[in-house]
Amino acid sequence: MKPNIQKKIFDYLLKNKIQNFNGVPDSTLKYFIEQGLKKNKVLITTREEEAIGISVGMALTQSSTVVFMQNAGFANSISTITSLVQLYEIPLIFLIGWRGYLKNDAPEHEKIGKIQPKLIEILGLDSKIITEKNWKISCNWALDKIQNQKSCALIVKRDFVD
Amino acid sequence: MSKGILLIRKEAIKIIAEKISNNPIVSANGYLSRDLYEVCDKPSNFYMIGSMGLSSSIGLGIAMMNPKKRIFIFDGDGNILMNLGSLITIGSVMPKNLIHVVFDNSSHESTGGQPTHTSKIHLEKIAKASNYIVFKTSTKTGIEKIIKKIKTLHGPIMILVKVSKSKTQSKRVEIPPKKIRQRFMKSLTRS
Repeated sequence: MKPNIQKKIFDYLLKNKIQNFNGVPDSTLKYFIEQGLKKNKVLITTREEEAIGISVGMALTQSSTVVFMQNAGFANSISTITSLVQLYEIPLIFLIGWRGYLKNDAPEHEKIGKIQPKLIEILGLDSKIITEKNWKISCNWALDKIQNQKSCALIVKRDFVD
Repeated sequence: MSKGILLIRKEAIKIIAEKISNNPIVSANGYLSRDLYEVCDKPSNFYMIGSMGLSSSIGLGIAMMNPKKRIFIFDGDGNILMNLGSLITIGSVMPKNLIHVVFDNSSHESTGGQPTHTSKIHLEKIAKASNYIVFKTSTKTGIEKIIKKIKTLHGPIMILVKVSKSKTQSKRVEIPPKKIRQRFMKSLTRS
C-alpha cells in the first residue's frame, strides 16, 4: 500500500477519535506507523500480546484503540484474543500486515500467510482487507464495529517483496 | 529479609487490598485473583482470569489514560516472568500513578507448585534497571510501612513481597468476565 494512503488512514482514524495506536512494527505498515510516531500517538511494545494487554487497559477507560502487528505477531496473540479480548468483550481494532500473501515472500511467512484467513475466521473475528481503493469504507466499518462494542481486524496485504 | 515464617500470599493481599481502599487493582490469573476475590472483593478489582502474564500491561494501559488515579497491579512471579518486556515498556513510559506489587512465592502454585527462577534471579534488580523505584519486604509491618511511604512518591513503583506457598486454595472468581469488566469500568468513572 502506497505511503500516502497509509498516512491518510492514520490521519483518518485519529480524526475519528482513535486515541491510541499500540503495537509491534511491521514493514508492511511502515508509513502508517511513521505518521503515528510523528504525531506522538504510537506506543511500541516488546510483543504483540503486551500491546493487546495495554490496549485492553485503555479500552477499559473508554478510550478507543488500534493494535497493529504483522501476522506472525497475530499468531502470537491468539490466546490473548480468546482469553482476554473476546472473554471480556473488549472493543479493539486490529491492524494486521499480511506477510505470505505473495507466494514469493520470504519462507518464514509462507505457512502463516496461507492459514491466516482461516485462522481469523475460526477465531470469530470480523475482518476486512483494507486497500488503496476501499480504505475509507473499511475504516468506517471498523469504527462502527468498536462503536458497537465489537472487536474487528483490518488486513493489509503485503504486495511487494524486498 | 525476615528469618521468621513468611506470610502466605492471601494474607499479604488482604493487608494491601484493605489499605488502599477503592484504588483500582488489576490482578494476575491463577490463585492470585482467587485470593483477592476471596479476601477483598470490590468493583474496582479487575480479575484477569485468562491471558497469562498480562496484568501489568492492562494496568499500564489504565494508568496512562487515567493519570488522576493510582493504579495497582497485583502480579505473581510466574506471571511477570512471562511478560518481562512489560517492565521495559512501563519503565519507558514512566507512569507516575502505577504501583506494581509482585507477590513472589518462587513457584507456579496453581499448576502444581513447580519452581520459577525468582529464587536464583533478583527481580528487584531488573525492575531497578527498568526505572522503577523498588521496595522489598516479607512482613506485615514491612508492607504497612511501604504503603504509607509510597503515598508521596511518583511511580513506577514496584513492591516485591516475598511470600510462602499456601496449603489451602481459594475459590474461583464466580463473577462472569463481562460483569467483572462492567463493574470495573463503572468504578473507574467515579472520582
